[in-house]
Amino acid sequence: MDSVQTTVERHRSSVRKWVRNRFGKWVNRRIPPAREVTLDQRRIFIFPSRTGLFFGCSLLVMLVAAINFENNLSYALTFLLATLFVVATLHTYANLSGLTIRAVRAQAAFPGQQSEFLVMVERSKQRDHYALYLKWPGSSEAMVNLVDEDSVKVQLHMPVDKRGWFHPGRLLVESTYPLGLLRCWTWIDLDLYALVYPRPLSSAELPGLATDTPDGAAAMVMGNDDFYGFRDYRKGDSLRQAHWKGFAKGQALQTKQYTAYADRSVWLDWELFAGMGVEQRLSHLCYWVLAFDERREEYGLRLPGVTIAPAVGEKHREQVLKELALFGIGDKSR
Amino acid sequence: MNVQQQVPRNALMWIIISLFALVAPHVSRLPVWVLAVYVVAVVWRLQVHRGRWSFPGRWVKVAMTVSGFIGIYASYGTLVGLEPTVALLLTAFALKFIELSQRKDAYVLLFLGYFICITEFLFSQDLLITLYSVLNVLLVTTALVALHQPGQNQFNRGTIRLAGVMLLQAVPLMLVLFFVFPRFGPLWTVPLKSHTAKTGMSDFMKPGDVASLSQSADVAFRVKFDGEIPEKSSLYWRGLVFSRLEQDVWSGLGYYDVPLSEQRPEPVATSGRPLRYTVIMESTQQNWLYGLHYAEARSAGVLQSSDYRMVSPAPLETEYMYRVQSWTDVPVELELSDWRRRTETKLPPQGNPRTRKLARDMRAQAGSDELFVQQVLDKFNLEEYVYTLRPGALSGSNRIDQFLLETRRGFCEHYASAFVFMMRAAGVPARVVAGYQGGEVNPLNRTVIVHQFDAHAWAEVWLENQGWVRVDPTSAVSPLRIQMGLEEAMASEGSFLAAAPLSPLRYRGIPLLNQLRLRYDALTYRWQSWVVGFDSEQQFDLLHSMFGEISTRIFATLLLGSWALVLVPVAISLFMKRDTHPGSPLDKYYRMFCERMAGLGLVRVPGETPGQFAQRTMAELPAFGEQLQHITGLYNTLAYAGEMDKAGLAQFARAVKRFKPNRRRALVEEDNTI
Repeated sequence: MDSVQTTVERHRSSVRKWVRNRFGKWVNRRIPPAREVTLDQRRIFIFPSRTGLFFGCSLLVMLVAAINFENNLSYALTFLLATLFVVATLHTYANLSGLTIRAVRAQAAFPGQQSEFLVMVERSKQRDHYALYLKWPGSSEAMVNLVDEDSVKVQLHMPVDKRGWFHPGRLLVESTYPLGLLRCWTWIDLDLYALVYPRPLSSAELPGLATDTPDGAAAMVMGNDDFYGFRDYRKGDSLRQAHWKGFAKGQALQTKQYTAYADRSVWLDWELFAGMGVEQRLSHLCYWVLAFDERREEYGLRLPGVTIAPAVGEKHREQVLKELALFGIGDKSR
Repeated sequence: MNVQQQVPRNALMWIIISLFALVAPHVSRLPVWVLAVYVVAVVWRLQVHRGRWSFPGRWVKVAMTVSGFIGIYASYGTLVGLEPTVALLLTAFALKFIELSQRKDAYVLLFLGYFICITEFLFSQDLLITLYSVLNVLLVTTALVALHQPGQNQFNRGTIRLAGVMLLQAVPLMLVLFFVFPRFGPLWTVPLKSHTAKTGMSDFMKPGDVASLSQSADVAFRVKFDGEIPEKSSLYWRGLVFSRLEQDVWSGLGYYDVPLSEQRPEPVATSGRPLRYTVIMESTQQNWLYGLHYAEARSAGVLQSSDYRMVSPAPLETEYMYRVQSWTDVPVELELSDWRRRTETKLPPQGNPRTRKLARDMRAQAGSDELFVQQVLDKFNLEEYVYTLRPGALSGSNRIDQFLLETRRGFCEHYASAFVFMMRAAGVPARVVAGYQGGEVNPLNRTVIVHQFDAHAWAEVWLENQGWVRVDPTSAVSPLRIQMGLEEAMASEGSFLAAAPLSPLRYRGIPLLNQLRLRYDALTYRWQSWVVGFDSEQQFDLLHSMFGEISTRIFATLLLGSWALVLVPVAISLFMKRDTHPGSPLDKYYRMFCERMAGLGLVRVPGETPGQFAQRTMAELPAFGEQLQHITGLYNTLAYAGEMDKAGLAQFARAVKRFKPNRRRALVEEDNTI
């Protein structure tokens, strides 16, 4: 009995999967991915919502009342509401039609974090659009109106996991305005990708340090002579250099002091973590990128086929992290 | 909470407005405490909205529901019937409002609101009620629209306008459906209205009944004649026949009082051209219909009783329209059966001995029934009898004696009753007939408006070779009543509508008011005949006259055609809205430029000047710096330099068209610069 049920269940789920697959392919053909999508009759689906079905049942009750009481005005009201339903189809459709959804940008993030996806909803006609509901599967949701402005930016957050380019899937744009009786929706595939960095993996210390020597083979244990001590935190000190660990233990806030952190350069080299897997190496490198960046020390990156000269700063960090994120993935131009 | 489930503040306000608007027309039928529930509900919900109180807990809700049921039962004494059901619905409506927290609650509430509009029609299909209900539907629809406008906290005129526009767009199709949808009978029996006191004739008559009816200015029915309107004095609207007198009360014969062999009346040999007319009766909650004797209904479903009355199988719950043809001078029932003769001459065994004696003496003197009738009428006419609305009370067991021989003051029912008593005492078959006499002709649409104060009672006497003959003793006492109407007959007494000082009928002397009253009445008639009285017969006539043969094909064409006729223009008006970016060719090309930039993910934000945009984008795409600067420079010169020169525009257009940024290239070049 049980096994029969599970077989049926499995069968059903495989059917469902097949249907979903087919539907996905069909939608892909119908609404191909694009940087921006203008909603038109090819892309908009419309069907009575659950509320609409409930309304239909209410209409039936009203009709029965009209028939049983032979009451002409009840007939009239029932028919008025029924045709209102029909007219609402056009209004609901018009609420989505002509909108342009544009991918603006996606924030890079670490695995497990929420990435912020920014899309822009624009109208092309001088009409008010209300209650536009946007959501990716698994993302936060947003409800916006286009009343006073011609465009509105929508931020949606979504957790990301794997290193590389993260595609949030198809964006649901939905509206039941103005009466809620009909649901009008579309699934659009925006050409929008979030960069996901490797997951930072700490290692007690950097095993070897590549120097600027031409052969690059010599390794020097990284000293900590660049860091020479603490002093009491003063107003104006960088919070990056605050000794948070000590602070957390209940000591007074102190500032870490470094010497000459600008004139030393460190190479974060692929070979430093020899013998580990690709992902693990990238994770360790990522950790050290963040560590050096926090200390505002110069660091360079050497990966097979990639060399980034030592530097410091936000832009540099992002470039380095991007190389780490996309290592072995190839496609760099999203 | 899900963002889609929130109820915007505006929607809450519109729901409150519709709540009160919906309950308002029901107020007269509701116990006062139901209104208190409405006030409490709204106060409670507003306090919840302000964060002062919280939503009722489950047990509080259960308690409120139960006490609602108990309250309705206590107020009406029952839960069945239309009034208690509607009261229950209205109470539930208010209670549901307290717990309105999500959008789905609002849907339930608003759809219930639509249904409450329908229940109002079950009580009245009056023109004013209809107009008011249209307003209610608009309010509920507005609330429904507001429910889907999140973040709108200020009154938004667009909300009610959109609701109105949508309803207007729905009207043409509604009309088509209304006229085309087949009308068939009830699917099952429905709860009827409780028979609360409704002004109108009742199925028994005791002295004073008709007089009290004469205080009402309500309309009893309206009549439209196909041809000329007959003389007012001949308009005897026969509705009830009272053949039985018991304890001073006249009553009609019930269905089971008539033996089976007498159920079907002897057919009347009609001849000559009949009077044809249409009657629209106001709701009476009674079965009988009115017509000019001898009347035959032309509408299906009207029955004929054994005493030649028209009867509707069901009580008239709402306005009712029927068509009639009458032959006013054909003899009716020339052969009187023994049972009928016995019934129509029957008197209580005792009482009124002096009247009995007087009748027998007069009959003996007269020599024939016909002369006897004439002499009794002469007696009323020549002796000091007074026709009055204030006859004074009669008491004791010999009331007819008292009236006929002592007080001599009475209203039509006194004269009719005394007359029939005398006839029967002398062995002449006679009966009391109740109905209305006369009516007001509305010059605007040539309808006859019959009011409650036109209520009248007269007599029928059966004479050899003539059958049943109408005799109106009142006309012998007060000819003015029959020729002119009650108002003129009571002019000296000043008792006409004394109890209804505000009735517009009292101000018939003021031309403007009277004109308005008649105009409204004409409108009501039209409304009733077209909308309220629309039935399967009229539907058939209408469709037949418009399309000839009625077939499914014609139905389908009609429906589809009308839908296309309405929906296509609506669709066009919706989708042909103005472009948000009307403008010069200059703007067009600049927009093209912006679109290309947007393709790279560089979107010009609202309010950003072209200069700022260029600055920002140049930082992002240094490789295209020159081109960006060039295009923006050209745009600024053309847009702000004053006059538009053709060559400049062409140059600008070329620059934009040539500008084909490619993200890959942009990024590669960016990479190289580092």
